[in-house]
Amino acid sequence: MPTAVAEAAPTPAVTSPATPPSFSTLALRWYRLNQGRLRATAVGIISLLAFLLVWHLLTTYRVVFFVRFTNVPSPLAVYASFTKAIHDPKFLLHIALSCRRIFIGFSLAAIAGVPLGLVMGRFKLVHEIIFPIAEVLRPIPAIAWVPMAIMLWPTNEQSIVFITFLGSFFPILVNTLHGMSLVDPVLVRAAQCLGARERSIFREVYFPASLPHIFTGLTVGMGVAWVSLIAAEMISGQYGIGYFTWEAYSLVQYPDIALGMIAIGVLGLGSSLLIRGAGHLVMPWRSTR
Amino acid sequence: MSEIRTSEPKGHIEVRNFSLSYDSIEGPVQAVTDTQIHVKPGEFVSIVGPSGCGKSTLLNAVAGFLKPTTGIVTVDGERVNGPGAERGMVFQQYSLFPWKTVRENVEFGLKMRGMARSQRERAARTLLGLAGLEAFEKHYPEKLSGGMKQRVGIVRALATGPKVLLLDEPFGALDAQTRVIMQQILTNMWQRLKISVLFVTHDIDEAIFLSDRVYCMTARPGSIKAEIPIPLERPRQQSMMMSSEFLALRRGLMSLIREESLKAMGGEINDMGMQGLSIELHGHSLADVI
Repeated sequence: MPTAVAEAAPTPAVTSPATPPSFSTLALRWYRLNQGRLRATAVGIISLLAFLLVWHLLTTYRVVFFVRFTNVPSPLAVYASFTKAIHDPKFLLHIALSCRRIFIGFSLAAIAGVPLGLVMGRFKLVHEIIFPIAEVLRPIPAIAWVPMAIMLWPTNEQSIVFITFLGSFFPILVNTLHGMSLVDPVLVRAAQCLGARERSIFREVYFPASLPHIFTGLTVGMGVAWVSLIAAEMISGQYGIGYFTWEAYSLVQYPDIALGMIAIGVLGLGSSLLIRGAGHLVMPWRSTR
Repeated sequence: MSEIRTSEPKGHIEVRNFSLSYDSIEGPVQAVTDTQIHVKPGEFVSIVGPSGCGKSTLLNAVAGFLKPTTGIVTVDGERVNGPGAERGMVFQQYSLFPWKTVRENVEFGLKMRGMARSQRERAARTLLGLAGLEAFEKHYPEKLSGGMKQRVGIVRALATGPKVLLLDEPFGALDAQTRVIMQQILTNMWQRLKISVLFVTHDIDEAIFLSDRVYCMTARPGSIKAEIPIPLERPRQQSMMMSSEFLALRRGLMSLIREESLKAMGGEINDMGMQGLSIELHGHSLADVI
């Protein structure tokens, strides 16, 4: 192929000499290639340390300047309560229960939202029936559902899971729908020309083409799920990391407030990393970029 | 290669009394009117014409994406009622599935037919080998150059062993060098497979170089203005494009198309209300002036 020759031409300039490169050359090369990433990591770590330092100074000197740091726990106090908490089965139970609620609520939202979005995107009538209802319900924040959820569900646990579900359901639905609306019609035609019928087109074209937006929806949905969960736990819970944080305030355990908040942040970050990882696994054609 | 017909040429395309119009707020718009074309089994036929003349519309009707308003489209005597694997199609935008590797793209038609995995993998490998793409079977399309993508597009369309191959300005997005190579590859495959080809392009040189026959369409509403046989012998070489025979064909087609392009542009000029340009837009006189 003449094209192949043309593409192979520039390579000799890059190929290594007869002797294998020394370790230091390799290290230098690796450094050059990853310079940007290394810098980002370094700056990130410095910035986090700076945040801790500022926090430390503000709380040690009990700064009052519009905002009052008089009662805010210092990072060291929070660390102390953290070392105590990880050996406390009750704290671990709070975390485990929150994670379980997220897992159930979010999974249900994904199981309901993705297929519904796909079907709504494909069949006009379904879209016309469901869309108006979704549009009215969507702007209601999950926390406004708390009283209704308590009435609807027999147990507290169920109503909290329901609120978590609601929080993540709409972002997932809306993004899946958006993905469906952006599917390139030429790809559908190409599939039809190759003998694909409705079901195959759905599975082989519409679904994979919508996947990037589905994952956007899942990521956003996961974020909102945590927001909704914490709100619900603070209001109606007996367990859970949100309840832990609120209870710490009532019991004047100030370091535990910050500990609860940080735990929520770390858990939220961890769960969105999980989703991103799943996205890379499911869409290898995008992660090779 | 059981998948590919190498023996009896098949794929007789016939388009009779064809017209196609669509509705708009100002009433029905005639895109193509009173058109007859045919492609004999194993023949390579091109359609050229000014942009917007409806040549792609015509091709899409043969593919089965558009229903004729009047008239009939048949392939081997069977009426076209929708898209199908016996009419392979190659698109200008390549339209490879980005989530499938090169080989999976080529396998797609065979998979739809229910062929077993190992069997279709073997078939796809062989075909990719013919197109010089075996080294790229595991790549995703995004990584390929335009010429490679379109080679995959052609191989994918041919994998199911279609009777006819429809190409809609397939090389329009490629640079000149790649385009020449692609034309050669397409010619080779066509001669090897002996299938009928209907090729839409706005590139006159390309149409002459590739085809047995060229249809030239009028400006919108499109219809067939002329049918030009291309008696150049095969195999054709790049050098032929300088021959007096080629140049004569080119001149003829050029003037036909220029006439139609001027008509189309004249329409636009009038639409814009530029009354000052009240040149008479009929026939050769203006084409010769410009």
